[in-house]
Amino acid sequence: MALKYTFRGGSHVREYKNTSACPITHMHAPAVVSIPLSQHIGAPARPTVAVGDRVLVGQVIGEIAQGLGCPVHASVSGKVVAIESRNNSFGIPVQRIRIENDGLDEIHPEVRPFGKPLSETSPQEIVEIIRTAGISGMGGATFPTHAKLSGAIGKVDTVIINCAECEPFITANHRLMLEHPEDILGGIDALLHALGLHDVTLAVEDNKMDAVEALRRAIAARTPAAQAVRATVAVMKTKYPQGDERQIVYALTGKEIPAGKLPADVGCIIFNAETCAAVNRAFYEGMPLRRRIVTVDGDCIAHPGNVLAPIGTSYADLAAFCGGWIKTPAKIVNGGPMMGAAQWDVNDVVTKGTSAVLYLSEEFIRPTISDGEAAACIHCGRCAQHCPMHLMPLELAKYGREHALDDALRYDVMSCVECGTCTYNCPAGVEIVQYIRAAKGLLRARAAAEKAKAAQKASNGEGSHHG
Amino acid sequence: MDNTQQHAPGLLTVSPSPHIRGRDTTASIMFEVLIALTPATVWGIYVFGTRALLTVLVCMATAILTEGLLELLLHRKVTVNDGSAAVTGLLLAMCLPVTLPLWQAALGAMFAIAVVKQLFGGIGKNFMNPALAGRAFLMLAFTANMTHFTAAYDRVWLSAADCVASATPLAPLKQGLLPEATLTDLFLGKTGGCIGEVSAALLLAGGIYLLLRRVITWHIPVAYLATVTLLSLIFPRIAGAPLQSVAAELCTGGLMLGAFFMATDYVTSPVTRGGKLVFGIGCGALTVFIRYFGGYPEGVSFAILIMNSLVWYLDRAFRPRVYGKGKQGGASRG
Repeated sequence: MALKYTFRGGSHVREYKNTSACPITHMHAPAVVSIPLSQHIGAPARPTVAVGDRVLVGQVIGEIAQGLGCPVHASVSGKVVAIESRNNSFGIPVQRIRIENDGLDEIHPEVRPFGKPLSETSPQEIVEIIRTAGISGMGGATFPTHAKLSGAIGKVDTVIINCAECEPFITANHRLMLEHPEDILGGIDALLHALGLHDVTLAVEDNKMDAVEALRRAIAARTPAAQAVRATVAVMKTKYPQGDERQIVYALTGKEIPAGKLPADVGCIIFNAETCAAVNRAFYEGMPLRRRIVTVDGDCIAHPGNVLAPIGTSYADLAAFCGGWIKTPAKIVNGGPMMGAAQWDVNDVVTKGTSAVLYLSEEFIRPTISDGEAAACIHCGRCAQHCPMHLMPLELAKYGREHALDDALRYDVMSCVECGTCTYNCPAGVEIVQYIRAAKGLLRARAAAEKAKAAQKASNGEGSHHG
Repeated sequence: MDNTQQHAPGLLTVSPSPHIRGRDTTASIMFEVLIALTPATVWGIYVFGTRALLTVLVCMATAILTEGLLELLLHRKVTVNDGSAAVTGLLLAMCLPVTLPLWQAALGAMFAIAVVKQLFGGIGKNFMNPALAGRAFLMLAFTANMTHFTAAYDRVWLSAADCVASATPLAPLKQGLLPEATLTDLFLGKTGGCIGEVSAALLLAGGIYLLLRRVITWHIPVAYLATVTLLSLIFPRIAGAPLQSVAAELCTGGLMLGAFFMATDYVTSPVTRGGKLVFGIGCGALTVFIRYFGGYPEGVSFAILIMNSLVWYLDRAFRPRVYGKGKQGGASRG
């Protein structure tokens, strides 16, 4: 058995990869899409269209005035029928542009290939192509890709393509690697060119050996011109959370990212596989990020599968495309079951970061219903044994529960990546990671309050100076 | 075929991630422990008679009833379904002599659950192993009864009135003599002693089962047994026969029961790897110390109880280095 890359901690969670044999199917765009103007980290976009306007596929409908962020594009052609504010799953109001699909799928004239060959394109041009295409990390964290890239130019020497897909249920990257490995490699070419680097490692877990083979075949079949890029596929042990960037960097390089720092601080940059495919499309077709592969699964779905869904497709329309519900969903999860967010609104939509939508029944979620405060830790230590950050979650949870914030801080609560491995493995059903999130939230609020107080003090002092 | 309308969701459950859970629960873990203890218990009933079964049933029933009643009285959630009281009852019965009056066995179970466990806040809150504390209580309260043993196959039906007393193999060891039973008999459990402690072989099998099922990790039992082995090899009690000494020490006096089932009790043992190793070494050293120099021939239960009180410190002393902090991470504390 060949040596496989891995990290310390983590655990093999049940995989539920039911859809790994389901080819990517193109979804005919629904009658109405609702596109949020804030889909990720960074400033929300401002609408550049008005109610009543006709928009075309790939047309910019929201632009960033300043600061970190991504433009937003129409995923269908049709008429803007509303620009409305609705709460997202975290209860934060987000502006959305509702477009009535005219079914013509008419593409905006500005959607065209960049034109110049890659060798004649400058790094800044690539950054700009990625920015105008509205690409943000498609693995779930959705950090704007152009910002990540431009910050890393000249700073990093190791490029990792994250194809681990360690979350249960999700097979979107797996299918992409099997069906379109050349799209991933094409995007990598552009990203490496911008970074001025030649080597790249594609990290795949060993539960997807067919994808490893597909990638290796595609790499071997490349034209000599493209072989300026030396791509290697690294087989990783299947273990959650292998896809977390701290774990993937450690597994491949043996380096730890210092607490509070980014991969770039240890010379690494990580892109998700589908992000690379989106970069490829932006460069060679000029098509912005307007749809993505979504794994549609859960015990309520009639025909689980991988769907190429337009951004802005509602969970209800997505389910309908997959044969509808065979059981009444009690919980809808956007993302994987370990870190995804439970949704309250069946009319909320697929965004750039939606790698999966899971429709789970009452029966399925019953084991996750906790006794709350009555759940008693039995000190079995599984949370500590499996914590990928090597924390003592049982203690941090206790501090969180008792609001003992200084203790939580002293024992590195802020290092928690909230992967949920502790809660998953807790036999007593303690909501460990939730207590930790609460502690982190309170600590952040405390730090912000202290900062505001200090700023006020400083400005008062200044005022008296001048007065 | 759109049946989204037919199964339209009502209010959706919004709860924090993760949205799936591993298979193990407190109850399933306790059930595994019960399974692992069954062979040694059945053997005890076979060699000591039906009275042993009666003792087991009395201890388990008393432990479960005490737990349920106290929780009702204290307005706590009744947790007898998690099986931990049953495990405590069984473990206590296994380290009692078959001739102990049943009411005393019941009193021990009551003490274990009421005083050691519930008064400290119930499951997960006690700082001493309840079964061992129950045994220690009986040892101090009814010393004569607790040190009165019968020989193997001298089966007791119901009444323990006219049993012939017999020493456990630890008594001759105390005088530096080989036990009467052969080492094979000691290993298999054809010897006198407490109900569940005699068969080192079956206890070892149960322990290996728990290891394979990942209920326990190897650290505590291996550190514990290795320490006893090493110390009795260097300082053998049977002059000139270090190997026989080691074998006798390992197979007698509930060492296997202690190393695999008592010292590994989650609540009263450390969670960190280093903590577990030191805990096991401490248990081993104290066991040998008490056996060699103590007033009792047997040291396992007091050794573990003493180490129980150090768990909090051991967990802190062996806290793992957090990813991205300290040596490799280089970042200072925020």
